[in-house]
Amino acid sequence: MITAEQKPLDEIRGTISHFRRILVLGCGSCVAECAAGGEKETGMLASALRMAAKMEGKEVLIHEKTLERQCVRDFIILLDDIVHEYDAVLSLGCGAGVQAVADMFSEIPVIPALNTEFLGETRDQGLWVENCLGGGDCMLYHFGGICPLARCSKHLLNGPCGGSVEGKCEIDPEIPCGWQLIIDRLEQHHALDRLEHVYPPKDWSKKQGGGPRKIIREDQQR
Amino acid sequence: MSRLREVLNQGAFAVTAECGPPKGADPDVILKKAELLKGKVDAVNVTDNQTAIVRMSSLAACVLLKNQGLDPVLQVVVRDRNRIALQSDILGASSLGIRNVLCLSGDHQRFGNQPQAVGVFDLDSIQFVQVVRRMRDQGVILGGEDLTKAPDIFIGAAANPFGDPFNFRVVRLAKKVAAGAEFIQTQCIYNLERFEKWMAMARDRGLTEKVHILGGVTPLKSAGMAKYMKKRVAGMDVPDEVIRRMEGVPSKKQAEEGLRICIETIERLKEVAGVKGVHIMAIEWEERVGEIVESAGLLPRPGQ
Amino acid sequence: MVQERSRKGGGTKKNELTLALFYCQNIPESGEGERQALEKKHGSSLRLFPIPCSGRLDPIHLLRALEEFADAAYVIACPEGACRYFEGNVRAQKRLDRTRDTIAQIGLERERLGIVVNAKDNPRGLGSVAEEILDRISGLPPSPVFGKRKVAKERRS
Repeated sequence: MITAEQKPLDEIRGTISHFRRILVLGCGSCVAECAAGGEKETGMLASALRMAAKMEGKEVLIHEKTLERQCVRDFIILLDDIVHEYDAVLSLGCGAGVQAVADMFSEIPVIPALNTEFLGETRDQGLWVENCLGGGDCMLYHFGGICPLARCSKHLLNGPCGGSVEGKCEIDPEIPCGWQLIIDRLEQHHALDRLEHVYPPKDWSKKQGGGPRKIIREDQQR
Repeated sequence: MSRLREVLNQGAFAVTAECGPPKGADPDVILKKAELLKGKVDAVNVTDNQTAIVRMSSLAACVLLKNQGLDPVLQVVVRDRNRIALQSDILGASSLGIRNVLCLSGDHQRFGNQPQAVGVFDLDSIQFVQVVRRMRDQGVILGGEDLTKAPDIFIGAAANPFGDPFNFRVVRLAKKVAAGAEFIQTQCIYNLERFEKWMAMARDRGLTEKVHILGGVTPLKSAGMAKYMKKRVAGMDVPDEVIRRMEGVPSKKQAEEGLRICIETIERLKEVAGVKGVHIMAIEWEERVGEIVESAGLLPRPGQ
Repeated sequence: MVQERSRKGGGTKKNELTLALFYCQNIPESGEGERQALEKKHGSSLRLFPIPCSGRLDPIHLLRALEEFADAAYVIACPEGACRYFEGNVRAQKRLDRTRDTIAQIGLERERLGIVVNAKDNPRGLGSVAEEILDRISGLPPSPVFGKRKVAKERRS
């Protein structure tokens, strides 16, 4: 999933301050899972903004709505009937969602309420960790299901670097050394000798060499 | 010609030192250090934005040293340059007469004075060794395109006998050798027992016959420095007895004690099978390198 | 929608503020009869909201209360460890703290939201805790969310 965190309230209020009819738009997908932009968080933000407006004596119309996914055209289009009543949309979607809505309704400013962060997993309740960089050429099998690009701070393919201390990364003792994890995992699979191989340089063009990426599937088109 | 390679190939115990470039554009700092080291060592490493702190480029400082008659070892980290720049710098270094390169990962950019920089790491240090080796021996860049003239470089890598996980450290050394490393300089040694264990494992794998290993040493200036290195520097092993020894001496005498420990370490390294030399990292204490080398019975240097 | 509230003369009496009180149904003396008696006693100063477990309380309900009619919104929780739904009230405290951060950021006093954990031995009845909370919030000014007109009224009287 894509993770995000809400921007500080001051920052949000600053960006919406000159709008008078605002639709606060949540997303029921990834950002709901990480408790940043789902229906509950959208309701809380809208309520807080309404109270703030009242306290300032400002007449501001603030409504809220949550889409199942903000990054899918078929869901965004459901806003067609109502979105033109507003002069701005405050989106609690991830960056993909904010832009998808902005692209569909280009005449209405769409303001992000979240800072989009990383691709990751819900490791535990209240804990989300990054584990994928979208490298475009997945090598997870070789490393026992642990990505050296995402989980090694230097994204080494032939690690470890030698700076780790008791299995923790040199830059932060809270971060496990990705290569320690890989070594432990491959040991568990009795496949540690796989790491004797010198892995060649990564083809980064699959991640960022061709500009913004896209996927086209004709069998999925209308 | 790489003086370092010559000395090692002759079977003599090699001596290298290290030199840090200034945080500015003044060449005099390097020239002064060159003066201190001339005739005392076979080659001098120049660090590459060590600890991710912006300094005069290693390549430029190497040229300054070369002009003073020293044999520089160009340290190159993969943190700051992509494969285009790395290969380009190798060609440039060789054209300027620099004959030794040490291929490194580099400390993470978080540690330095530019923590908001992107960490490149396009290649890792082992892939970089492989690339340089192919440039030299096959005259090609990554991807196979021919060079008009191959660089002439003696290729080195670093090794840390004390990093985690211990059992994997020798595999990593083996990978560097397989990638084409010809000499290795290790992280500085205070725990000789642990170092000797690592060397034994390296010998068992036949690695000491394929690569020249130089043991790293750093003279301690004070007990405080010893404690700092133990606690704060990643991948370092400073045994308690070393700290006790430093603390057991009044602070004015601690520097001398540190030098003594350093010289003793070198004497012991001379006896370890498979160790072909010593790499003295006396950063900002280059003025004592000469006496360390002399006291360890390593002067005069061959051919100087 | 702002609710008009009845005023009982000048001065800051505790029954001029409206408290929204959410309470766990396990609290003693919270049956239908006791509840009605409380509502009669305090009138518009006290609005009661029973919930299955304080851990199930969503912070949005507190915010909505503050937005729509309440000068303060409180939760009464069961003692730690006594909660039927495991960790119900530990989590409630954390969620409340976060909601307090939110209202502080828009300029509302953090004390407008609160959680009272009932004692483990001899847990108090609903009425007793409600009175304590009403007393606790009595020092707060009327909420500025609806406050502008009311403040003007006060000055004139």
